[in-house]
Amino acid sequence: MNLLTVVTFLPLAGAVLLALIPRDEAGQHRAATLVFTLLTFFLSLGLWFGFDASPAAPEFQFEVRLPWMPSIGIGYHVGLDGVALLLVMLTTVLMPVVILSTWKAVGERVKEFMVALLVLETAMIGTFAALDLILFYVFWELMLIPMYLLIGIWGSQNRLYATVKFFIYTFAASVLMLLAILFVYFHDGNTFDYLEARSALQVTAEQARYLFLAFGLAFAVKVPMFPLHTWLPDAHTEAPTAGSVILAGVLLKMGTFGFFRYALPLFPEAALTYRPLLAGLATVGIIYGALMSFVQTDMKRLVAYSSVSHLGFVMLGLAALSAESLTGSVYQMLNHGVSTGALFLLVGMLYERRHTRAIAEYGGLARQVPWLATAFLVVTLSSIGLPGTNGFVGEFLILSGTFLSRLASSTVLATVASIGVILGAVYMLVLVEKVFFGAIKNEENRHLPDLSVREGFVLAPMIVLIVVMGLLPGPFLAPAKPAVDRLVQRFQQAEARLGVPTSVGTVDAAVAARPSLPPGRAF
Amino acid sequence: MNGLPVRDFAALAPVAILALGALTLLMSEVFLTSPRRGYQAGVTLVTAVVTAVSAAVVPPAGPIFGGQATIDAFSVFVTVVICLGVGLSALVSAGWLHARDAERGEYYALTLFAAAGMVLLGMSSDLLVAFIAIEIMSLSTYSLTAYQRRGRRPSEAAFKYMILGAISSALLLYGSSLIYGATGTTLFSGMHGGRGAGSMLLVAGLGLVASGIAFKVAAVPFHAWTPDVYEGAPTPVTAFMAAGVKTAAFALLARIFLSSQTGAGVADLSFSRILTVLALLTMIFGNLLALPQRSVKRMLAYSSVAHAGYLLVGVVSAKVEGARSIALAGVLFYLAAYTATVIGAFAVVGALEARARDGEEARRPWDLDRFSGLARKSPLLAFAMTVFLLSLAGVPPTAGFMGKLYIFKAAVGADLIPLAVTGILTSILGAFYYLRVIVHMYMKPAAGEEPVVATTSMALALGGAVAFVAVLGILGDPLIRLAQAASAVVM
Repeated sequence: MNLLTVVTFLPLAGAVLLALIPRDEAGQHRAATLVFTLLTFFLSLGLWFGFDASPAAPEFQFEVRLPWMPSIGIGYHVGLDGVALLLVMLTTVLMPVVILSTWKAVGERVKEFMVALLVLETAMIGTFAALDLILFYVFWELMLIPMYLLIGIWGSQNRLYATVKFFIYTFAASVLMLLAILFVYFHDGNTFDYLEARSALQVTAEQARYLFLAFGLAFAVKVPMFPLHTWLPDAHTEAPTAGSVILAGVLLKMGTFGFFRYALPLFPEAALTYRPLLAGLATVGIIYGALMSFVQTDMKRLVAYSSVSHLGFVMLGLAALSAESLTGSVYQMLNHGVSTGALFLLVGMLYERRHTRAIAEYGGLARQVPWLATAFLVVTLSSIGLPGTNGFVGEFLILSGTFLSRLASSTVLATVASIGVILGAVYMLVLVEKVFFGAIKNEENRHLPDLSVREGFVLAPMIVLIVVMGLLPGPFLAPAKPAVDRLVQRFQQAEARLGVPTSVGTVDAAVAARPSLPPGRAF
Repeated sequence: MNGLPVRDFAALAPVAILALGALTLLMSEVFLTSPRRGYQAGVTLVTAVVTAVSAAVVPPAGPIFGGQATIDAFSVFVTVVICLGVGLSALVSAGWLHARDAERGEYYALTLFAAAGMVLLGMSSDLLVAFIAIEIMSLSTYSLTAYQRRGRRPSEAAFKYMILGAISSALLLYGSSLIYGATGTTLFSGMHGGRGAGSMLLVAGLGLVASGIAFKVAAVPFHAWTPDVYEGAPTPVTAFMAAGVKTAAFALLARIFLSSQTGAGVADLSFSRILTVLALLTMIFGNLLALPQRSVKRMLAYSSVAHAGYLLVGVVSAKVEGARSIALAGVLFYLAAYTATVIGAFAVVGALEARARDGEEARRPWDLDRFSGLARKSPLLAFAMTVFLLSLAGVPPTAGFMGKLYIFKAAVGADLIPLAVTGILTSILGAFYYLRVIVHMYMKPAAGEEPVVATTSMALALGGAVAFVAVLGILGDPLIRLAQAASAVVM
C-alpha cells in the first residue's frame, strides 16, 4: 500500500466510520475525528522523513500510477515533490489543531461538521498529491462542497450570502480550467497525465496564452489575487473558526500551489508574457490588502484582508522567478498557513469569550488574559515578519529575491512591496494595541478566563512552528529546493527555445549561485 | 423474402416483453379484485429487468425488416438505460401513488407501453418506424400526464403536451415526406445518397425532422411546453418522461445525424448547423430560465432543457471524424447518468410535494420553502437530493460530472471551442440554481412540520439512484467501455 494514498484517504475512511456513530454522541464524534486526524499526521511524518531532498532524487516521490478510468485516459497518478510535501505536512498539522479548537465552539450538528472536515482533509491532500489533471480537478472541486457546507451551516449571520459567493466564484473560475485541461489532452498525445502533458504539450503560442489564462484564472481566484479577492473577506468573516483556519491555512495555498505546479511549468512561454501582469497585480494586492486592513472594524475581516496582502507577496515571489524569490514564496505559503491560521484561532477564542468580533468592543485585555495576549503578540510578530520568526525568512527571501531578479522594474515592485511590510506592521500592532492594551472601557472585558489547557494545546504547535521555522529554516527549505531549481531551469529552457535573453534568475550570477540559505543558520 | 420473418420478430423481443408486461397489468385490473395493488409496481419492475437482461444477453441481430430497424450494441445500450428509467420510476411511483390512493394497473401499463415505444425508437433506422415509435411513446405519455386529473394543472399540461406533440409529429412526418421525395427512401442509410442528395428538398426535410425531434428533446426554441407539462404531470411521470423521452429521442437524433454525416455536401452541413444553433440557444436559455424559478419542479423542468443543450453539444461534436466515438459514447454515458440523477431528483420532489386536500389544489406544492430544513427533518433524503443536485450541476465526483467531462471533451476534440465554452459557462448558472436548493435544505430552518412521504420502494429507488450516481462518478469505467462499444457499431 502506498503511504501517500493511505494518508490521502485515511480521513475519508474516518468520515465513513463517523457515519456509523449515532448522531447524538457528539463527544465520540469529536474524539474519533481527532484520532483520525492525528493518525493522518503521524503517518504523514513517514512522508516527511522518507522524502529524499537531494537534487539527484526523483522529482516526484511516493509515486503511484494506476489506471482509474483508462477508457477516457484518466489515471490515478499521485506523487509528491518537495513543495507538495510541505503543503501536505501543513495540512496534516493544521487539521488536529483545528479539530481541537472546535471542541466547544461547535455544539450543533457535530457529526456533519466533523464529516465535512474529514472529507475536506482528503480533498486537500489529494489536490496536492494528484499528478493527473482530471484527478487534480476532481480533488480541487471536491474541496468546495465541504467548505461550502462549513460556511453555510456553521457560519455567522451573513453566511448564506458568503457561502454562495464563495462557491460561485471558485466554481466559475475553475470550470474554464476544466476546458483547458481537455484542450491539453488533445495536444499532448491524448493523456491527462501531468508529467506527460508537461513534456509533450504541443500548442501554438496563442493557444498557450489562452490555456495559461484559463488555469491562471482558477488559481488567481483561489489565491486570491486583486481584483478577484472579493469573496475572501465575506467567506473568512462568516465562516466558523475552523473554516477560517482551513481556508486561510490551506485553501488559499491551493491557488499559489496551482501556479507553481501547473500554470507556470505547463505554459512557461505564456507565463513569461503575463509575468508583468502577475507581478503588478500582486504588488497592488499587497498595498491594497494592507490599506483595507487599516480601516476594518471587524477583527476577522482585518485578518482576511491581511491575507490578501500576504498572498500578494507569495505571488510576487512566484512572478519574479528567481530561485530565492520562489523559495521565499514556498516558505511564505507555509508561514501564512501557520500565522494566519493561528490568528484566526486566537480571534475565534476571543469570540468564544465575548461573542463579538468588533475591535471596538475590546481593549485592555492583556491584564485579564495574559497568556492569550502573549500568544496573540507572538503570532502578530510572526505575521509582520519580525526577525526570529518564520515570517521574516519568507518575506526577506521574497523581497531580496525579487529585488535582484531580472523581472522588469523588479526594484520598483520590491520597493513598493516593502512598504506593504511596514503597513502590515502598523495595522497588526494597532490591532494588538486596541484589543489588549489601554484601559478597560467595556465592563464585560473585566472578567474573562485565560487560555484553558485545551486552548494551550491548540496554540502550542503553532507557536512552536513559528519559532522553529524562524530560527531553523533549513529543514523546511531543503525539500523545496529541487522543485524550485527545476522550475527555474524549465523557464531557462523555455527562453532558450524562444531565443530571448534570459529574464529568470537573479541579475548577479554570484548571488544566484549562492545557496538560498545555509540550513540551520540562526538569525 | 417468403413467409413470416421470424428472426426479425424475435429480435424485437425487448419491445414485446414490455408490451406483454403492460397487457398483464391491464388484465390484472380486470381479473384481480383485491384493492391491494402493491404488486403492480413489482410487475413493472420485473418486466423492466427482464427486458434489460434479454436485450443484453441475446446477441444483437443487426438490421431487421430490410434495415428499417437495427438491433446493435447502440440500441441495446439505449434499451437498458430506458429499462433503468422504467424500474426506478416504477419504484418511485409505487410510493407516490400509494400515498395518494391512486395505484392502478393502467398507470403502469401506460408506462410500459411508453417504454416499448422508446425502446423501438432506439432501434429504428427508418423514418416511418421512428414515427410509429414516437407515436407509441407519445400517446402513452400524454395519457400519463393527465393521469391524475385533480385541478386545472394536469389537464392543461396534458392538453398542451398533446397539441404541441401533434405539431411536432406533423413536422416530423412532413419532413420525412420531403426526404423521401429527395432521396426516394425513408431509410436513414439512404439519406445521403439517392437522386436528390444535396438538394434543397433534402435540406428542408432534414430541417423539419430536426425540428420535430427538437420538440421531443425540448430544445429551445421548441421547449415552450416543457415547464408546464413537467410541472403539471404527476411527479413520477415527470421523472419518467424527463429520463426516458430524452434518452429515446437522443438515440434517434444520433442515428439520423450520423447518417446525414456520412455523405458529402449540403445535408450534413445544414443538419449540423441547425443542431449547433439549437445547442447554443438551449444551453443559454434553458439555464437562464431555470434561474428565477421558485418551484423546484419547474426549475428541474427548465434544467432538463439545459441538459438537452449539453447533449446536443455531444451530438454535434460527432460531426468531426476524430471526435465521433468520444462524442457518441459521451452522449450515451450522459443519458445513463442523467436518467438516474433526474429520476432521483424528481423522486425527492415527489416525496416533499404538498398534497391536494378536499379536492382543492395545494398552493405552491413544490416551493423552495418546502425544502427548508430538510437536512434536519430527514437527513438521508437531503443527502440523496444533494448528490443528485451536485450531479446535475456537474460537480465531481458524481456521474453528472463524468458525463459533462465526456461531452465537453468531445466538443474540444472536435474543435468546437465556442460550444464548449458556452456550455461550461452556462453550467455556472446551473450551479447557482441547484445550490439554492441545497441552501434551503441545509442552511434554513424548517418552514412546516409536514411529514415526508418515504416508503420502502421510494427508499429503494433513491438508494439505487444515489449508488448509481456515486459509483458512475468514481468507478464509471465499465459503463464508459460499454458506451464506447455501443457507439462503435453505429459509426
